[in-house]
Amino acid sequence: MLLKTVFVRLLTTAITLFGVAVVVFTLVRVAPGNPISMMLPPGATEEDIAALTALYGFDKSLPHQFMIWIGGVIQGDFGTSITLRQPVDELVLGRLPATLELSLMALLIALALGGLVAVIGARKRSTGTEVGLDLTSGAVLSIPDFLWGLIFVLLFGVLWPVLSISGRVDPRLDIDFTTNFYFFEGLLRGRWDVVSSTFSHMLMPAMSLALPLAAMIAQLLKQNLKEVLNQDYTTLARVRGFSETSVILREALQNAALPTLALVGVQFTFLIGGTVIVERLFAYEGLGNMAIDAVINRDLPLIQGIVLLFAALFTVINLLVDLSYTFLNPRLRNG
Amino acid sequence: MNNLHAKTLDIINLNVTLPNGHRLLRDVSLSLDPGEVRALVGESGAGKSMIGKAVLGILPTGISISQGEILLEGTHLNALTPATRRKTIAQTSALIPQDPLTALNPVRKIGPQITDPLTRIHGWTKARALARTRELLDRVHIRNPDRVLNSYPHELSGGMRQRILIAAAFAPSPRLIVADEPTTALDVTVQKEILRLIRELQRETGTGVLFVTHDMGVVAKISQKVTVLFGGRVVEDAPTHRIFENPEHAYTRALIAATPTPNASTEPFRPVPPALIAELHREIQADDDRFSKRAHR
Ligand SMILES: Nc1ncnc2c1ncn2[C@@H]1O[C@H](COP(=O)(O)OP(=O)(O)O)[C@@H](O)[C@H]1O
Ligand SMILES: [Mg+2]
Repeated sequence: MLLKTVFVRLLTTAITLFGVAVVVFTLVRVAPGNPISMMLPPGATEEDIAALTALYGFDKSLPHQFMIWIGGVIQGDFGTSITLRQPVDELVLGRLPATLELSLMALLIALALGGLVAVIGARKRSTGTEVGLDLTSGAVLSIPDFLWGLIFVLLFGVLWPVLSISGRVDPRLDIDFTTNFYFFEGLLRGRWDVVSSTFSHMLMPAMSLALPLAAMIAQLLKQNLKEVLNQDYTTLARVRGFSETSVILREALQNAALPTLALVGVQFTFLIGGTVIVERLFAYEGLGNMAIDAVINRDLPLIQGIVLLFAALFTVINLLVDLSYTFLNPRLRNG
Repeated sequence: MNNLHAKTLDIINLNVTLPNGHRLLRDVSLSLDPGEVRALVGESGAGKSMIGKAVLGILPTGISISQGEILLEGTHLNALTPATRRKTIAQTSALIPQDPLTALNPVRKIGPQITDPLTRIHGWTKARALARTRELLDRVHIRNPDRVLNSYPHELSGGMRQRILIAAAFAPSPRLIVADEPTTALDVTVQKEILRLIRELQRETGTGVLFVTHDMGVVAKISQKVTVLFGGRVVEDAPTHRIFENPEHAYTRALIAATPTPNASTEPFRPVPPALIAELHREIQADDDRFSKRAHR
């Protein structure tokens, strides 16, 4: 049973990733703009162009090019970046930790903030407080992440400059870490200078990404909490003497979290998509920022590598959501 | 504050109202002596559950007590702050709910669902709470308490869950239990067993019980007193034997007549006559008119 589930899962993941590979490979080649002409100085000879085109394999037919590329990918060779002249997998995996740290920080903020607002809203249901919180989260939700980014830059970068608005970490710091997870490794090593510097750089982009998701969580979780709070077992808990707050936290929250979780999973992948623009805005050295450079420079192997990695990341997130669903719901645990 | 000689429950002229002023309970009065079982009967929508909810402080949002008094062991509930009222109710009362399938938290194990109130509200030690829980599980004929305490609700049958809820209700030795149609949602085969368990535990512990039911057959078996309700109004209040031997009100007689008997197949089913229902609705209307005059004076 479990084995079959795992097998089906792996198979669908492989099919999905293959589909993504086909689509991105085709799209970047159909889109206007020639990578070779971008690499050469003006006035390059026909021979130079032909030589470079052959070097990167662009003279072959599309299906042939695809076979070469996908063959390499299966063996772990994602090709070489045209602009950076380095293996794509090294470049991409080097940047992934930055984006992961940023996304996880944003998710954490969204869960904490959204959860808190939902619990307060449910506690104060049918009062002015609930209406006020609803209106606020509605307003927050109507502003997209990159606009939040601009607002934060204006507020805490310009008007009251307390936070760093550019980069990932203070470049003067000496960081000789084994991984590029500066924040997490800094925590483990007790390098508080690195932790505080990455945190101060991460806070604004993370908040920008988190706010819309926090508002969404606040609305949906509160709705689910209100439904659960009409259930007989919560009524029984009140009869037994538990306060409304402890009924919400002890009896209702886990039940209400279940339907909220599905949405959080989907929205988290959107959030990661949002890092592309938000990282650019804050010059944060992550995957998203690199993706924009790759697109501008028509760096086809790099674009393909980044898109594939994002796709793989999304399937992993979906898997984690399903796992936590099983963890939270005892009815799914043994069956 | 608790008066030893007080009634377990005293409800005086209770009116429960929707936000638009519509009354769901109309001047309901009833009382319960210690160790007594009082049945609340009447057809669906008569207000039986509403009485229990008012007593236990769990009226749905928007529905409120507009007039009247509820005394639990001599304590005026209306006079208390919400937090004290909640504690007073929890210390003296318990609920056996109608539907055991929805009355247990699906994501929590059975054990803590029974012991948590004992330790966190009644201030017992863990060991005492667990010992008491085992004692009661044994009392309701649950043979493998350890497995049950470690189970999630979905792993147990409806009858099993209702026995657990009965054990949970009796565990803190309450003075009052509201049992709201505790067998209606169950298989006919388990209904008798559940009823017998409640009656036995009630006798052993001397707990007062408000027993909500629409089944006159159950009334005869379990209660000493009966309150007959229609449209949120008390139609008749009498000792159980008098209700059956010498019912005063035509509606009570009709309810008894409408009860299927063991030889139901041979006797025709006799529903409450529509003319009687219409008469009762006219009485309620007149009652409401008097009530609104009283309110406007
Ligand atoms: N949450 C609610 N909102 C509005 N009306 C309600 C609500 N719950 C019950 N009522 C109404 O109150 C009356 C009494 O209900 P109830 O006490 O549940 O009846 P029963 O005697 O069947 O237990 C019914 O007319 C019902 O429609
Ligand atoms: Mg009812």
